[in-house]
Amino acid sequence: MKKLTKVSFSNLDKVLFPQLCVTKARFIEYYIKMAPQMLPFLKDRPLVLTRYPEGVDKQGFYAKNAPNGMPDWVQTAKLYSQTARRNVNYIICNDVDTLIWLANLAAIEIHIPLSRVDEREKPDFAFFDLDPEPPATFGDAVEIAFLLKEKLDQLGLRSYVKTSGKKGLHILVPVVRQYTFKETRAFVHALGIQLMKQNSKVVSEFADTKKPDRVFVDYTQNSHGRTMVCPYSLRVTADATVSTPIEWSALRKKLKPSDFTIHSVLELPKAPWKDIFENRQKLEAK
Amino acid sequence: MEKKPRHPKKQEAVKAQKSAEKTAENPSMGKRAPSRRPMWTGSVTIGLINVPVKLYPMIYDRGVSFHFLHKTDNHPLRYQKICTKDNAVVPWSEVAKGYEVSKGQYVVFGQEELDAVKPESDKRIRISKFVDYFSVDPVYFSSTYALMPDKSGDAYSLLLQVLEKMGKAAAGRITLRTKEYPALVHAYKGALVLTTLRYGYDVVDPSGFEELGELTAPEKAELELAKKIITDLSGEFDINEYKDTYREKVEALIQKKLKGETITVEKPPKEEIKGLMAALQETLKQLEKK
Repeated sequence: MKKLTKVSFSNLDKVLFPQLCVTKARFIEYYIKMAPQMLPFLKDRPLVLTRYPEGVDKQGFYAKNAPNGMPDWVQTAKLYSQTARRNVNYIICNDVDTLIWLANLAAIEIHIPLSRVDEREKPDFAFFDLDPEPPATFGDAVEIAFLLKEKLDQLGLRSYVKTSGKKGLHILVPVVRQYTFKETRAFVHALGIQLMKQNSKVVSEFADTKKPDRVFVDYTQNSHGRTMVCPYSLRVTADATVSTPIEWSALRKKLKPSDFTIHSVLELPKAPWKDIFENRQKLEAK
Repeated sequence: MEKKPRHPKKQEAVKAQKSAEKTAENPSMGKRAPSRRPMWTGSVTIGLINVPVKLYPMIYDRGVSFHFLHKTDNHPLRYQKICTKDNAVVPWSEVAKGYEVSKGQYVVFGQEELDAVKPESDKRIRISKFVDYFSVDPVYFSSTYALMPDKSGDAYSLLLQVLEKMGKAAAGRITLRTKEYPALVHAYKGALVLTTLRYGYDVVDPSGFEELGELTAPEKAELELAKKIITDLSGEFDINEYKDTYREKVEALIQKKLKGETITVEKPPKEEIKGLMAALQETLKQLEKK
């Protein structure tokens, strides 16, 4: 048989999600199947990973720096990290083999920055992170998401929604690469404040993030060096949930993050965000 | 006493060769040919009706079995009974059976005494009632035998047909060798088969385990998720999907050794990798289209 991948697999029968008995083989298979959907989002972005080689119930770790002894075909970029205050050798995933290799490292979560490696100060997404603080629920986040969509629609901006895979929702507005993070952050913050005035459930100031029973519209992720979990990345949860793009028309208050898992996502329609890369928009914050 | 083979090494090799031929003509995972000699003859008795039958073994445990050899000269080893008092080797003629009543205290029996109370095989499978086969939990199933007509074609055929049509099994008892068993007779693949059962008191009631007392009721959401997973993974049961891979590998090693090949320990391509490659092929196809 022709060799399909440069990756040599290891520990395929290791159980990574013990509650669901999901083995590493099944996990890698998931990323292989989702590769066509994920690769466009991964392309040219320095990645941050969370790796759980012993399974999600055991100790895991963040990984920015490419590991020692990695194959020479894996593409990397040496960049200065402001948070780490040193140069970091980031992994860039522009092909299936690299994605499979990441999966074989038990990189459960793959996080991407909102800008690409060639112009790190110019984001190509404005990013709203809707984070419900209990007892506020996913349903509350959905309610606020629809309010936000209405606002964005009024501005003539197309937005795209995905589950975070944990408690909340992520809303993306693809933008032309001409704004700075400061500008996208101000835009997201301004809309958060408008929502707050409109609905008492919403908080949009960083100091209020942990206010109970509120939905925090987090604008702070629109910054250099901050990342967002990649669409279709798995999350480190017992249910093996997935950060899942959905059509606005399919978003319901009664949905739960646990409706979107390694098992169910493979069955979903493949392209709710089909035109996101053809839709670079100008922000006209009023 | 066994005769000592003069060239045990050579003889072993010849034996091994024979069994290798056997596996070659009868591929390891193929169906087993029916046995030609019945292990028991008698009749299925329902009230005054008798259906003469022959009983054949149907279950074979085909694990890999090894013989113990002496490492230094490859001679087979055998067991001896050693008296714990003086370490003398004891011949069969001096062996008695003892039932341990308390530590080190035995009630002693000679073989004749035990033979006298042995249940008599009365050559009958005595049927007392008819039940739904699936109402008997498989935990009670012990072993299964094929029942064949013994010059009783018509009666056998009638019993087979009626059990098949009604989905019933005949429940009764049978004595095989020295032991009486509860038993079921039911229709399986166009034949009557007999399944011996375990006694109720030989099966532990798991509800008595104290671990079960600590269980909490699952949350509704968890239950829903679990249901979803089960629905996703539901399918028809096919016994042929299961194979003893250890046995297959050992048999392959035996073949290699016979051909004089040296065996290097290599990682065989796993089932899992095959699955991954199939998924990858599909993904590569999709990416090409783009």
